[in-house]
Amino acid sequence: MVPRLDGIRRAETLQYLSYHGSALPDRIRADLDRCEALLLQTARPRLVWKLFSLLDDGTLEGTDYRPGGEDIHAFLQDCDSVVLLAATLGAEAESLIRRAAGRDMADAVILDAAGSAAIETVCDNFCDDLAASLAPRFLTDRFSPGYGDMPLSDQHALFRVLDVSRRIGVTLSQSALMIPQKSVTALIGVSDRPQKKRGRSCESCGMFETCPYRKEGKSCGSF
Amino acid sequence: MDPSEIILLDGAMGTMLQAAGLPIGQLPELWNILRPELVSAVHRRYAEAGSRVIYTNTFGANRYKTAGCGRSVAEIVEAGVRCAREGARGYDVKVALDIGPIGQLLEPLGKLGFDEAYDVFREIVAAGEAAGADLIVIETMSDLYEMKAAVLAAKENSALPVWATMTFEATGRSFLGVTVSAMALTLTALGVDALGFNCSLGPRELLPLVRELRKWTALPLILKPNAGLPDPATGEYHVAPAEFAAELKDALALGVSIVGGCCGTTPEYILAAAAALKGLSPAPRPETLLRGVCCASNTAALDGVRVIGERINPTGKKLFQQALREGNLDYIAQRAVEQQDAGAEILDVNVGLPGLDEPDLMRRTVKALQAAVDLPLQIDSSDPKAIEAGLRAYNGKAIVNSVNGKAEVLDAILPLCKKYGAAVVGLCMDENGIPQTWRERVAIARRILDAALAHGIAKEDVFIDCLTLTVSAQQEQALETLRALRAVKEELGLRTVLGVSNISFGLPARETITVSFLTQAMHAGLDLPIVNPNQRAVMDAVAAFRVLSGQDRDSEAYIRRFADAPPASPAPAAGGMSLDEALMRGMGQECAALTAAALEKMSELEVVDSLLIPALDRVGERYERQEIFLPQLMKAASAACAGFDLIKARIAARGGSAVSKGKIILATVQGDIHDIGKNIVRVVLENYGYTVIDLGRDVAPEAVVEAAVREDAGLVGLSALMTTTVASMAETIAALRRSGHNCRIMVGGAVLTEEYAAQIGADYYARDAKQGADIAKEVLG
Repeated sequence: MVPRLDGIRRAETLQYLSYHGSALPDRIRADLDRCEALLLQTARPRLVWKLFSLLDDGTLEGTDYRPGGEDIHAFLQDCDSVVLLAATLGAEAESLIRRAAGRDMADAVILDAAGSAAIETVCDNFCDDLAASLAPRFLTDRFSPGYGDMPLSDQHALFRVLDVSRRIGVTLSQSALMIPQKSVTALIGVSDRPQKKRGRSCESCGMFETCPYRKEGKSCGSF
Repeated sequence: MDPSEIILLDGAMGTMLQAAGLPIGQLPELWNILRPELVSAVHRRYAEAGSRVIYTNTFGANRYKTAGCGRSVAEIVEAGVRCAREGARGYDVKVALDIGPIGQLLEPLGKLGFDEAYDVFREIVAAGEAAGADLIVIETMSDLYEMKAAVLAAKENSALPVWATMTFEATGRSFLGVTVSAMALTLTALGVDALGFNCSLGPRELLPLVRELRKWTALPLILKPNAGLPDPATGEYHVAPAEFAAELKDALALGVSIVGGCCGTTPEYILAAAAALKGLSPAPRPETLLRGVCCASNTAALDGVRVIGERINPTGKKLFQQALREGNLDYIAQRAVEQQDAGAEILDVNVGLPGLDEPDLMRRTVKALQAAVDLPLQIDSSDPKAIEAGLRAYNGKAIVNSVNGKAEVLDAILPLCKKYGAAVVGLCMDENGIPQTWRERVAIARRILDAALAHGIAKEDVFIDCLTLTVSAQQEQALETLRALRAVKEELGLRTVLGVSNISFGLPARETITVSFLTQAMHAGLDLPIVNPNQRAVMDAVAAFRVLSGQDRDSEAYIRRFADAPPASPAPAAGGMSLDEALMRGMGQECAALTAAALEKMSELEVVDSLLIPALDRVGERYERQEIFLPQLMKAASAACAGFDLIKARIAARGGSAVSKGKIILATVQGDIHDIGKNIVRVVLENYGYTVIDLGRDVAPEAVVEAAVREDAGLVGLSALMTTTVASMAETIAALRRSGHNCRIMVGGAVLTEEYAAQIGADYYARDAKQGADIAKEVLG
């Protein structure tokens, strides 16, 4: 499965920019067009994934990794296998966004938001492709370290199991944050039974950890 | 090393250990101690298969990856060398200490410092040499900067040969954008003994990269590829041993002499390779090589005229001097970006100013510039300490500007150029000053060349500057310079560099003289003009020369340059638009024009207080009311910047001190790498006239305290984006309180709330940048 970034969802970018629906001036629209094009041209999305059988105790077969917390095991209760995924827009996009901050902060904030939308698109496309290739079996949504009670420190094990740094060039800081920042890791359950789509929910949103609405107990309105 | 001899390496270790029962995800290096017999058995199978060099099982044996495993790096490395020796017993096999990436990304994209990376590698090298390794292999690097840290650590802490291989994608770049030419130029100049590729792809896919590599280096080439491409779902590799061996044979035909296997390969692959390559010799290598200087992601090939930008230099520039004194590296980086946009291909970097710590400033400037632009740098200083600081911090192959014919200068600086792998500029002058005749200048050039060769520097890395004298003062010298230049080029066969702008000093219409002299110099053989690329006429002359000399094939670049030329834009009209409107539309030129008009009637301070800041306030209020959103706020801030810049330039020009409403320290707290929110706040605070000292991201509590006390800052702003790093924010606040400094503290970040902020002891919670500015006003006025 090759990483596919076929576009950037404008609505999602605007949402990350806390856009409130007032008129979008032509100049800003042009900036969005330009930044999205630049990002699409610069980003080199990469991904690595692997399918594991789940042992009865929740450990991934052939590894010593048992995902942390209880929520993930409840989430995978119908599943006999799980796909580990790591995806990134690459160091090229990271560099583009960081350098923009020194040139023009308006571009920097747009590129940052568009980057968040773009990596979500890469993951969505991967899940579509994966679902097609595993049919007639069924997939759960994506579940990432930091969701529910799954600790962020699970990243360290996940990185070792997938050999993420070697395969796609993403590194993990000691505080378990990924660089390049526009990167995602996730677990996706595989089951013989249809899985309840939680749809687009706060938990499956790339802004889950950092959403300004969620912390006020609200949502951005799109879920 | 005999380049006509084939050296067979080993295959994968991890794959073999997993087959022997090592669970995926567990530290393979720990088995050197826990299961040494299994590790030795793998080594033995490779020795039996025909490997002449085997790599120790120490790929991840660094202090980061082994943290918490209960064993020290030294123990694991020592055991690793012992396992290899044991496995190789009875065979004529050399043991290579294997060093892989640290797993943490280095600055500027990551947070790991170069010096710390060096120290991580130093620890491994020291243990490996003490344990009796025969050579050092650094492999699977995708960051040239990390590779440089490892090579320096190897060469400074051992006498063993050093081999270096990196991992690339089929695009011809590494994950971090390193090019093959940059790898070749940098590692060859750093003095490794062999270099090439490992991991990455299968042999077939790597052949095009080998073709590129051999153009840039004469060193022995290494190829240690994977067994093809991995199956994405299972991670398994599919090229069979016989096919793998046949593909390696094709690499021999390109002159590769050191071969083995990486991921997915086993002793069967090495056995097949040994059989297939028996009796063969690597093909001869190209006789002439391409030359260049580079940063990690961009090479300036020395195959024609390359423009060196001269604007990173404080001489005669008040704002630049002020930026250096304040340590304002952003200002300096912006001068680099401007020159890159204007077409400079290399940047000269001079930060010498009396009273400042030049080595420290050079080191920090080199890093800041490499974070901002993809251009090779020329380290310009007369202080050997500053040159060494710049070269050590530099990622790529740099130029040193300069040495001259004085023996003590040559002896001090040439060894640095050799050690750090830099090209060097030699000025045609010595203890007797600048000779008046071209012959004497060529004689000095010859002396410099001889000294460089004696220090082991390649002839192609010596560039001669025949020196430009001011034509209004010494008219006859212009022609002497051109004659000397021609002779250096033709008689010595060296590349030439020349600071051009000086020619026209003291004359009217300087640009006319400068451009005319530049054109003549290029025709006389000038390769590397040092000029101001922001002068369009200068760059036009270069573009024209490239057409006339045949460098610009079919005039493509020339046509593009003038096809893209924007129509002359009318001078911005100050009338007709209000400042608010200019800000709202993000129009910097208009904002500057309106500021200039206001300055005719008011003082600088009045313009700031009664015009710019109130206008910014109104924009901020619209943002608060959600009438505009973040990109518009940032556009307004950038536009206002143009007005503030004008004011700063006016004040600097008459020697006054800068307007500052007080000092604010900003930092993203330790453990957190998200800094866009903090950067937004910085832009807005700077606009309000505060001096912002931005400590960056992942900043330790003690670094915040140190800066707050040193700068006696009235306000400290802390940012944390993750729930997990709010604890680190609380620690930083506690440390600030303990220091007894009476600064106020504001905090912000997506996961914080008013209550949470109070709970961790902050004085203020800033919901957004606008509120941050309001707090600053309350605290600092």
